[in-house]
Amino acid sequence: MNLFALALRNIRLNRKKYIMYVFSLGFSVFTVYTFLALMQNESVKLAFQYDTRYQMMLTSFGIIILVFVLFFLISSNNSFIRARKKELSTYALFGMTNLRIGTLLFLETLMVGMVTLAVGMGAGIFFSKLMAMFLLDLSLSNYVGDISFTIDPMAMYVTALLFVVIFCMMGLSALRVIYQFELVDLFKADKISEGKQKGSVLILVLSLVLMIAGYILASIKSTYIVVLGAIPILILVITGTYLFFWGGLPKVLSMIKRNKRIYYQSTNLISVSAVSHRMKSIASVMATIAVLSAVASTAIATGFTLYSNAERNTYSNMGFDLVYYGGEVSLKDNIHDVLQLNQVVIELEDTIGLYEAHPKTETVIVEAREHLTDEDTFRVYSETTYNRLIAESKTDLEAAVIPSGKAYYIFPFSQEGIESAMLDLRLDFQKVDIQIVKVIRSSVPGFGLDHTLILTDEDYESLIQSGLILSSEENGRAGTAVVMNYEHALDNRELNNALENIPKGTVVGFRTAYKLYNESMETFGLICFIGFFMSGVFILMTASLLYFKQVMAAEEERHQYKMLKRIGMEDKTERQVIQKRLIPIFFIPLAMGIIHSIFAMKTADTVVFSNIISVENSYLSVLGFSAVMYLAYGAVYGVFYLITKAQYGRIIRS
Amino acid sequence: MQVLKVENISKVYGTKKNSNRYTALRSVSFEVNQGEFIGVMGASGSGKTTLLNILGSLDKPTTGKYSMNGNDIGTMHKNELAKHRIENIGFIFQDYNLLETMTLKENIILPLSLMGKDVKTIEAKLEKLAGDLGILHVIGKYPYEVSGGEQQRAAACRALINNPKMILADEPTGNLDSKSGKDLLNLLSFINMEYKATILLVTHDVFAASYCQKILFIRDGEIYNELYAGNDKKQFFDSIIDVMSMLGGERK
Repeated sequence: MNLFALALRNIRLNRKKYIMYVFSLGFSVFTVYTFLALMQNESVKLAFQYDTRYQMMLTSFGIIILVFVLFFLISSNNSFIRARKKELSTYALFGMTNLRIGTLLFLETLMVGMVTLAVGMGAGIFFSKLMAMFLLDLSLSNYVGDISFTIDPMAMYVTALLFVVIFCMMGLSALRVIYQFELVDLFKADKISEGKQKGSVLILVLSLVLMIAGYILASIKSTYIVVLGAIPILILVITGTYLFFWGGLPKVLSMIKRNKRIYYQSTNLISVSAVSHRMKSIASVMATIAVLSAVASTAIATGFTLYSNAERNTYSNMGFDLVYYGGEVSLKDNIHDVLQLNQVVIELEDTIGLYEAHPKTETVIVEAREHLTDEDTFRVYSETTYNRLIAESKTDLEAAVIPSGKAYYIFPFSQEGIESAMLDLRLDFQKVDIQIVKVIRSSVPGFGLDHTLILTDEDYESLIQSGLILSSEENGRAGTAVVMNYEHALDNRELNNALENIPKGTVVGFRTAYKLYNESMETFGLICFIGFFMSGVFILMTASLLYFKQVMAAEEERHQYKMLKRIGMEDKTERQVIQKRLIPIFFIPLAMGIIHSIFAMKTADTVVFSNIISVENSYLSVLGFSAVMYLAYGAVYGVFYLITKAQYGRIIRS
Repeated sequence: MQVLKVENISKVYGTKKNSNRYTALRSVSFEVNQGEFIGVMGASGSGKTTLLNILGSLDKPTTGKYSMNGNDIGTMHKNELAKHRIENIGFIFQDYNLLETMTLKENIILPLSLMGKDVKTIEAKLEKLAGDLGILHVIGKYPYEVSGGEQQRAAACRALINNPKMILADEPTGNLDSKSGKDLLNLLSFINMEYKATILLVTHDVFAASYCQKILFIRDGEIYNELYAGNDKKQFFDSIIDVMSMLGGERK
């Protein structure tokens, strides 16, 4: 029998072991091909051609995926080989050289690989249209071009080339594993402990301290510190995670062991000792899974939150469906004509008089930059006008109630320190001092100016009388702003094109919610898509790594369960033992990943979401959206747990 | 007092249509009384392991009936059988069958913890038994850290800890050197005397069998002969050899 025939025979005999292997390999091929094809897809290229950022984002995302595919394939290949240790050692026993065994394995990998390559690419081609549609639907909801069913020869060629290289690397790493085998191990493999770890209190405490320090750093409410601290936070939390699984968790297990009342309960005795027996070989995998789950769940939670809040984001920025200030008188009629032509019902139209003032103030410095100087001009509203504007708008802002002699201050950007710096500031309007009692973040009422003040109606009137508040027209700026709300503002593409094409003359600011909404949908949709794609890949890789490890363990533990059955363990107890044996291995990393992600979302909230969701406590709202994704992630992960449990049970009962 | 009563047990492998039908046991009947130390001998393939599996309720007879303490075992369900095994039977196997993920101590207390006993009862029983069997000093170690003899003694300890009605030992000395084997046999005798334990020892080792009070010889699935130990151990040993050579099994 030559090597080739032997390889074929092995594949046939190891069919069952190969199925999961083929599945994960096939999925990797599918991922890479789909990804490459997406990047080459004409529709996607066309849709994103105006913005090179997206190409960059997709490319760097592709590289991350490729690195993990490589890591995953090599490590699952290695554990696959270890699972076949007995078989391979037997070849060695009969005098086959390591090189020949390596060649045999390489042949097997290549044969199975070629099949999976074909299957994976086939699936990729089959789903290519769906994927492109999915991406475009998420990020370009108004894209109307035809998405074609494509076979991409370039992507096929690159995928095939990449995987042949990967197969060669797998072959080399397999050879390394084979050289590590000792023939003696064949005869005592099961008897030797994989190395128990007692762990230590020190490492347990240290790991917790590191993680908590990372969490605290991540929860600081300053954008500046959080952005600077991103790398230290990552280092703290990742180090903490690995230390926890290397030394902390074994310590927790040995602490459980010391509590005899819990430990001596039948199912605990068997499962805890089995888990702690495997701890050393699985600790790194568990820690990696915790980190990957954190990355993936943060990615989908961020994407989903952004995506779900795109509309909110648009209106908290714009306030209305259409806003313009300045411009020719005919502009208004033109807009009306366009709206009428498209049979769109106007829900609201208002013209706001714009006024401004130039009070004396001290210079305010926020984070080493001049925030406010004597040069700055304020947009000024009376309480009544502001409340009317807010009530008409689609923002989440609340009506102002201002005490006499005081004012509210509104600023369009969110930055730590502005609120505390501006609060209680006194503005000198010659006769009166007006004190700022509340700081609000909004870009709605500025209409071209950064600083906005709201005064009580009396103060406003008296300052107008004394000429300290002037119409903006007198300073050469637009004197009125027009705001409009109408039907189908966010989804009527033709209407928007027509509006954009109206000649506007000297108009200073003309903005539609449609445009802003579609811009944010493009970005958020892409982030969302990347998040889903990445979590899909990570879930599959981590779960199949665990699957391999547990199935291998099941083969070794089978005789133990047989023995337990002999001395009289009931079926029910056996099921409980299997559950208690597998649940910690699957769900401790998941739980830890999600806790990491909860704090990562806190950081994301500080940096991004608090600008978008302008409610009092945006973090709670963010957590709400994230929870949906955590549940989805947990559910998919749970399915893999059930598959593994079923397979584990089948093996030990066979 | 009668512990075990076996009536006309037969075991046939393969289905009726199958030409590979193979009869492992043919109408075997015997009784075991409390405190007896019985050996079962026979050549390979004579059916002695099948018999042990049936007595241990790991396997069911094709026909026939057997009862322990008056309870008919054949009619029990799977879970009742598990309960029956853990409460009434202690197993000692040739390859010890200790869990390598557990220390000897944890291995020994397994049956008690499966039965849901509380910590105090468990500790008290363990202390006494492990002391009697002389493994108290290695009890915190893992199976691969101690010798085969110590592993087998731990296995004996596990078999005894729930005060079973009967101990089934399947070639317990098979993997031990002669010194350890002899120690273990002395230990079984000690258990038999001290704890009044009923022991059924399956073996093809004449020396091991000579520790029993009574020996059943099995050939081709039938009880071929019975031997009782007299006062003279040497004579008993010789007569076992005679029977065995007639059976065509062990020649020594």
